[in-house]
Amino acid sequence: MLNTANLSLEQAPPISIPLRFFLTAPLFGIAAALMMIWYGPEVMTSRWSPQTLALTHLLTLGFLALVMTGALLQILPVLAGIAVPRVVLVGNLVHPLLTVGTLGLVAGFLLGSTAWLKLAVVALGAGFAIYILAAAVALWRVELPNNTVAGMRMALLALAVTVLLGLSLGAGFAGWDTLIYPALYTNVHLTWGMLGWVMLLLIGVSFQVVPMFQVTPEYPKWIRSWLPRLLLVGLAIWTMLYVAAVNKPELASWSLVWLTIILVGYIAFAVITLRLQQQRRRKITDVTLMFWRIGITTIPISFLIWGIGRLFPTAMEQVDLDLLLGVCMIFGVAIPLLNGMLYKIVPFLSWFHLQNRQLATMCMTVQIPNMKQFLPDRSSKRQFWVYLLALVVTLLSVFAPALLVRPAGVLLALSFVLLGHNLLQVALRYREVSGELSEAVADGQEG
Amino acid sequence: MEHYLDVSMLEPCEPMEQTLAAIEHLPQGDYLKVIHRREPHLIYPMLERAGFAWLTEPGGPSEFQVYIWHRDDQIAKAAVASRSN
Repeated sequence: MLNTANLSLEQAPPISIPLRFFLTAPLFGIAAALMMIWYGPEVMTSRWSPQTLALTHLLTLGFLALVMTGALLQILPVLAGIAVPRVVLVGNLVHPLLTVGTLGLVAGFLLGSTAWLKLAVVALGAGFAIYILAAAVALWRVELPNNTVAGMRMALLALAVTVLLGLSLGAGFAGWDTLIYPALYTNVHLTWGMLGWVMLLLIGVSFQVVPMFQVTPEYPKWIRSWLPRLLLVGLAIWTMLYVAAVNKPELASWSLVWLTIILVGYIAFAVITLRLQQQRRRKITDVTLMFWRIGITTIPISFLIWGIGRLFPTAMEQVDLDLLLGVCMIFGVAIPLLNGMLYKIVPFLSWFHLQNRQLATMCMTVQIPNMKQFLPDRSSKRQFWVYLLALVVTLLSVFAPALLVRPAGVLLALSFVLLGHNLLQVALRYREVSGELSEAVADGQEG
Repeated sequence: MEHYLDVSMLEPCEPMEQTLAAIEHLPQGDYLKVIHRREPHLIYPMLERAGFAWLTEPGGPSEFQVYIWHRDDQIAKAAVASRSN
């Protein structure tokens, strides 16, 4: 529940803070798609190639992290009733640091340059340190945390683990540190990133936004109270088993069994969400729901593919299963969920800020567009269909990289261009109406 | 006179949009009764700024009734008070 005791409109950051994160993110998506077109099958043949690592981080840091960090700065005051301390300063520092750090990391991978990697480690380390500290202060100040705040706390802890492991690996690649078991710690890093930070934040936020935006019944109480905590503890136990298996190989099968148990928890979340969406009381399908259905459905599908591959290794020996799982999780789960959310957040923020200014100035002569006028359905739905086609071709490209990686890249580029264009249109409309409001207020004062 | 608005089947921010549109032409002496699925915390500061007062009552397991009137409108205020008593 929202906490109005602490909620004030002034606690929300100026719209320019979240918007700069949201408008930069599609550019990284376009860059990733261009990499697929430029390098072709090289990016889909092994998860360890520098091109694949660069592509992965363009998407995970450049798109996912920018959208998630920007959104959290904005929605914490609304969902938790508490502001991020010094939010403007935090936004002003974190955005350029993450942007430069991501570019440095990609350049470091592609050019094999330790100088770029060093720059990336410093910039990403500083950016994430500031962000995690600021978000932690806000989240742990909440005296009576609801389930969403509890989920966000778990997600933030997972982000801290992901970042620490990533920085340690980056420092190793940059020549600052000795790389010990890079493959092992890369697996732990990406597991905490995807199953921890991305999925736990998704679960925590879903407890609020699915019933609220999709007009469904509430999630069962036991899921809301226990699932994020259990999953975080589960991930910690898996990590200990997985790392310990280096010296005690008999633990390897236990870590696999344990990971399977954790995945059942995520599948349960996905199945319950899909059931809630079936029970929604409002039958009009909007574009955010379409993106969410794809993202949520892909969760069990990804884990089933992974499970089948583990149980019957010969069935998919031509395919790098981990790569397929990564493609499913990034392109099929995380990207559509955030893409759908952006189509709610950006028009809402634009409407909300303008509406507040209008009420504050009592200048009723200017008509504030509603959310649908900020972003017409046809524009967002057109991007959805392009995205869906891009997803299908990208998934197939894991099986036939030589044939399909470049077409997948073209479709993904188009999808991100349309997303960026749609968000930019909203921002420009915001600026236009904001200018009209300022003029009307000035005219009123002169009159 | 009571004006009635049911936004319980709408998704954010349509309830806010429709409520603000409805109170824009609310005559003196009248109040607006809005049926919500959740308590609409975000609209309260907006009502405050726009010069309105409100009273929120839980109306059921998943329903809230919000009564809104012009802050300086004593007739509407009395009508809401007698309505909710």
